[in-house]
Amino acid sequence: MGIKSSASDQWFKVLAYCSVGAAAILCLLPLLITLAVSFSNESLVVRHGYKLIPEQFSTETYDFILRSGNNWLLRSYGLSALVTLAGTAASLAATSLLAYGLALKTVRYRQGISFFCYFTMLFSGGLVPWYIVCVNFYHLSNAFISLFLPYLVSVFLLLVLKSFFSSIPESLIESARLDGASDFTIYTRIVLPVSQTAMVTVGLFYGLQYWNDWFLPLMLVTDSNLYTIQYKLYTILSNTQGLSAGMAQAAAGTKVPTETVKMATTVLTVVPIMCVYPFVQRYFVKGLTIGAVKG
Amino acid sequence: MKTGFFHELRKNRVVYAMMIPALAYFVMFCYVPMAGAYMAFVEFNGRDGVFGSPFVGLKNFKFLVTGGEQVFNAVLNTLYLNAMFILCGLVAQIGTALFINEIDGKHFKKASQSLMFLPYFLSWVVIGAIVYCLLANRGFVNTMLTGLGLQTVKWYASPQYWKTIMILVNVWKFAGYGSVIYLAAIAGMDMAIFEAARVDGVNKIGQIRYMTLPLLKPTVVILTLMSVGRIFFGDFGMTIGIVRDNGLLIPAVEVIDSYVYHAMLTSKDFSFSTAVGLCQSVLGLGLILGVNHLAKRINDGEGLF
Repeated sequence: MGIKSSASDQWFKVLAYCSVGAAAILCLLPLLITLAVSFSNESLVVRHGYKLIPEQFSTETYDFILRSGNNWLLRSYGLSALVTLAGTAASLAATSLLAYGLALKTVRYRQGISFFCYFTMLFSGGLVPWYIVCVNFYHLSNAFISLFLPYLVSVFLLLVLKSFFSSIPESLIESARLDGASDFTIYTRIVLPVSQTAMVTVGLFYGLQYWNDWFLPLMLVTDSNLYTIQYKLYTILSNTQGLSAGMAQAAAGTKVPTETVKMATTVLTVVPIMCVYPFVQRYFVKGLTIGAVKG
Repeated sequence: MKTGFFHELRKNRVVYAMMIPALAYFVMFCYVPMAGAYMAFVEFNGRDGVFGSPFVGLKNFKFLVTGGEQVFNAVLNTLYLNAMFILCGLVAQIGTALFINEIDGKHFKKASQSLMFLPYFLSWVVIGAIVYCLLANRGFVNTMLTGLGLQTVKWYASPQYWKTIMILVNVWKFAGYGSVIYLAAIAGMDMAIFEAARVDGVNKIGQIRYMTLPLLKPTVVILTLMSVGRIFFGDFGMTIGIVRDNGLLIPAVEVIDSYVYHAMLTSKDFSFSTAVGLCQSVLGLGLILGVNHLAKRINDGEGLF
C-alpha cells in the first residue's frame, strides 16, 4: 500500500535479522567447535587448547577409535540402531492400538481409560520403586529389552495419535463396520493407511527418544556389551581412566588421545541425527503444534 | 449396570483386546511402582523384598522435621532452577518467535529456524560433551580468554558458576523448540487486524505490544501454568548428563530427582530415597491439581487436562 514503513519499523527489522542470525550461529557454533577438536592433533590440543579451526588437521583420533577395544564403536552403534528400530516398532504398535480405541466414540470407557493413562503423568511412585520393580520383579537388568521396554508408551505421543485418529471421518469407520469388518481390520485397513503422516510423526519422536536414551543403560545395564552409543559416550566422558584401560589393549603402544576421543565420540553420536534432520524436522514441528494444543 | 459393563466388554471386545499391550505397560511400569512406593514405610532389605521388609511407619520421613540439609539444598535448587528455566525460557522463546516472524527472507528464515531447533535433538550426554568442549581447562572458552589476555577459569572446579551455566544451557536447548508453538499461535492470528493497525500508523513495536502479545497471552498462560505445575520435578537427564560424577559441582546443581538417585547409589538406603521421591510426587500432584484449578478459573472452565 501507499504507506511507507516508519524508521522505527526498519530498525526493528534490522534488530530481528541480527538477533535471529546471532542466535542461529550460537546454536551451531558449539557443534562446530566439537567437530574441529575431533579432527585436531591431540598433543597440540593439550598444549594450545580447543580451537574452532584445527591447528593441524588430523584423523588420528578416528583411526584410533576404529582400531581400539574390539570394535566397541560398531558394537554400540549397532546396538543403538537395533534398540531404536525395535523400540520404535513396538512403541508404535502399542500406542496406535490403544489410541485407536480411545478415539472411537462408541467405546464407553474411553474417557476413564484415557485418565488411567494420563494419571501416570501426574503421579509416579518415584525412581527407586521403579528401579526395584524393574530389577527384582521383572528381572530387566542386562537384557536387550531393558533398553526399550520401560519406555514403551509415551502419554504425550498417545494423545497426539489419539487426536489424529479422532479427526478421521466417522462415516468411513461406520461403513466398514456395516460391511462386517472387525475393529482390528478397520485399524489395519483403514485407520493406519489414512494416518501415515501421523504414524511417521509419532514414530520419529519415538525414534529420537530411543536413539538419545542413556537413562535405561545407566539404571539397568552393567554389561559393557549392552552399552548403547549414548551410554558409551557417557562412560567415556565420566571416566578417562576406564577409557584408557579398555581401549589401549587393542591399540598397544599408542598413547590414548583422551581429549579428542571425547569429541570424536560426540561427533559420531550426533552424525546419524544430522543425516536425517533436514528430512524429518517438519514432522517434529507438526507433532509439537498438535501436542501443545491438545496435550 | 453390571450387565451393562459386560455387555460393553463383549460388544467392543476387539477394541479392548487391542488396548491390552499399552495398558499392561502402564500397569507394569507406572502403577506397580506406585504400589512399590510402600517401600517408603518399611526398612527395605533385599532378602525380604518390598512387602516383606519390617514396617517402620513414618521413620523414613523424619528428614521432613529434622531437616536433612542435603534434601533441603536439592529442593531449593529444583525450585530456583525451574523458576529460572521458566522465566528465561519464556523470554527467549517468545522473543525468538517474534523476531523470526519479522523475517521476510524465506531461506534465511528457514535456515535460522532449523539451526535453532537443532539443540532439541541432542541428548543431554551429547550436550554434556559440548559443554565440556567449551569449559574444559583447555576448552574453547579458556582458549578465548587466554587470547584476550585474561585469566583462565577452572570451570569444573568452580561450583559458583554452574547454576548460571545450567540456565544458559537450558535456554540454548529449548529456545528454538519452544518458539515453534508460539510461532504457530502467531501464524494463526487474523492478519487483517494487523493490516488495519498498520494503515492507522501503528508501528511494529506498538503492534507487538498491543496486539501480538495480548493475543499470545492464553497460550503463554497455559504453557507457563503447565511448567509451574511441574516445578518440583528437576531434570534428571540434564543434571547427570552435564555434571556427571563431578562431586565438586553436584551440590550446586543437585535437584530432587538426581538427589534421589545419588542417595540410592551412595547410601544404598532405598527406603529413605523412596520417601524423598514420594514426598516429591505428592507435592507435585497437589501443585498440578491446584494449578489446573487456577487454569480453569482463568480459562473459562477449560483446564490443563
